[in-house]
Amino acid sequence: MIRFDNVGLRYGSGPEILRDVTFHVLPGSFHFLTGPSGAGKSSLLRLLFMSLRPSRGLIFVFGENVADLPRPGRAALRRRIGIVFQDFRLLDHLTTWENVALPLRVMGKKESDYAEDVTDLLRWVGLGERIHAYPEILSGGEKQRAAIARAVITRPELLLADEPTGNVDPAIGNRLLRLFVELNRLGTSVILATHDYSLMEQLEAPRLMLDEGQLKVSGT
Amino acid sequence: MSLISDIQDYPWTSLLAGILPARLTALLPARFQVTGAQIVPPTSIVGNALTVVLAIMTFLACLTAGGVYMVNQSANAWVDDIASEITIELDPVNTADIEKKMTLVSLFLAKQRGITRVKPLTAEDSAKLLEPWLGETVSISALPIPRLIAVEIDRSSPPDIEVIKTALTQNFDGVTLDDHRRWQAEIRTITRSTALGGIAVLGLVAAATIAVIIFATRSAMSSNRKIIEVLHFVGAQERFISSEFERHFLGLGVRAGLMGAFAAAVAFQLLPLMMYLLGGGAVTAAETRRLLGSGELDIGGYLLCLLVVVVVAGLCMLTSRLGVFRVLKSYA
Repeated sequence: MIRFDNVGLRYGSGPEILRDVTFHVLPGSFHFLTGPSGAGKSSLLRLLFMSLRPSRGLIFVFGENVADLPRPGRAALRRRIGIVFQDFRLLDHLTTWENVALPLRVMGKKESDYAEDVTDLLRWVGLGERIHAYPEILSGGEKQRAAIARAVITRPELLLADEPTGNVDPAIGNRLLRLFVELNRLGTSVILATHDYSLMEQLEAPRLMLDEGQLKVSGT
Repeated sequence: MSLISDIQDYPWTSLLAGILPARLTALLPARFQVTGAQIVPPTSIVGNALTVVLAIMTFLACLTAGGVYMVNQSANAWVDDIASEITIELDPVNTADIEKKMTLVSLFLAKQRGITRVKPLTAEDSAKLLEPWLGETVSISALPIPRLIAVEIDRSSPPDIEVIKTALTQNFDGVTLDDHRRWQAEIRTITRSTALGGIAVLGLVAAATIAVIIFATRSAMSSNRKIIEVLHFVGAQERFISSEFERHFLGLGVRAGLMGAFAAAVAFQLLPLMMYLLGGGAVTAAETRRLLGSGELDIGGYLLCLLVVVVVAGLCMLTSRLGVFRVLKSYA
């Protein structure tokens, strides 16, 4: 599904922040991506999401060499990936429901076809009472759950989550982890970036550990 | 091929939803409607500032375009008038019966092909023409003032002026024909200079308008960068993202442009009143009429103002499209 071969990344003429990163993600797998702050977790996720180009090496996403893909082709692959950002990236002028429905809308689906699914998912993540609320009045945890709901509403083949439980209390964090596991059982591959060891201990899954730009895989 | 397919696949029908108010759009067939909340926020402080800037620039561009159009129309009318007329001049010196000669020449001219009207000017008419230079005095009648015959020619099948000129010289003494060629050439030079000057001014205003619109739209676009990013991250195709912004900015451009054009139309209507309020009396009004014709825009002038609105809205839309692609390119 995902293959990184000797991938290196540097911003401009700065030092290489990722070096010789090589790993595979198989369909239906679950990985934790961990490492100290500033180790390059977010940059690795952005490479996976094709919003950054590697300085060297090859990246294959769903069997396609990203370097050979034109921009429209990358957009089509991105629709098969869900992403949860550390800073949520919700649109402030849209309600929670509209934010979550956005990926379906950009796919050209009819509102009548997905309206119920969006409402059900929002209830499942505990935002049933906040459907018509705007992000400005949501708490950090609520925003995080809305961002997660937006990432999973299309049932993506791959889910990338950057510190998805960083702004929620442990109970909600566990519930969100259960959502990711449930999605994984339904066939979605999950890469969850976190430095929350208590969260990682709850699930037996391979760990991609980034340290000083290099990646080590453990628990396979 | 890609450009043609892009044009064919473009959601043209949805653009109407950006221009018309929601209530009117709701009355249109489904293909003209856009469902769901607006992805680009309908109002923002930056958007309001852009509306004001666009309206002002459209107002100035319409005033310039309308002014140049009026002067041009008026200049063309002058040339048309002069080109439709020739003047016959009879020397009164050594002519025993000038009135008889006037009649004979007039009858001769009336028989010529391509002449639609012959109007002999009386001695009083000729004297009046000299009044601006000599003043109103009885002594004018004592002067040997040349007598004139105004001849209107058929523009669709004009006479051979040279043949008439030769025939007049052969048949009558002291009769000359003035076809106003020298005047026409001078007026043409003046009108061309006026038109060129007007076009140059219009070009400068257009360049300034384009520059202001591009910078103002870019500024408004930068405040929408987050929206482009989110749409990009949820897998929206570039065409979807750009069409959302194009629809928004086209609507904004049309509304602001119409405001500016409407203000310009009102200004043109109030032009005579403004001149009066500024102290211009009947003489000023007459001079202005001579320079600008009726001093009012005709339908062509208002269509020109509408064209300005179309250009302003189109520029706004195009700049937003380029802005979207610039942001998306930065992710590549």
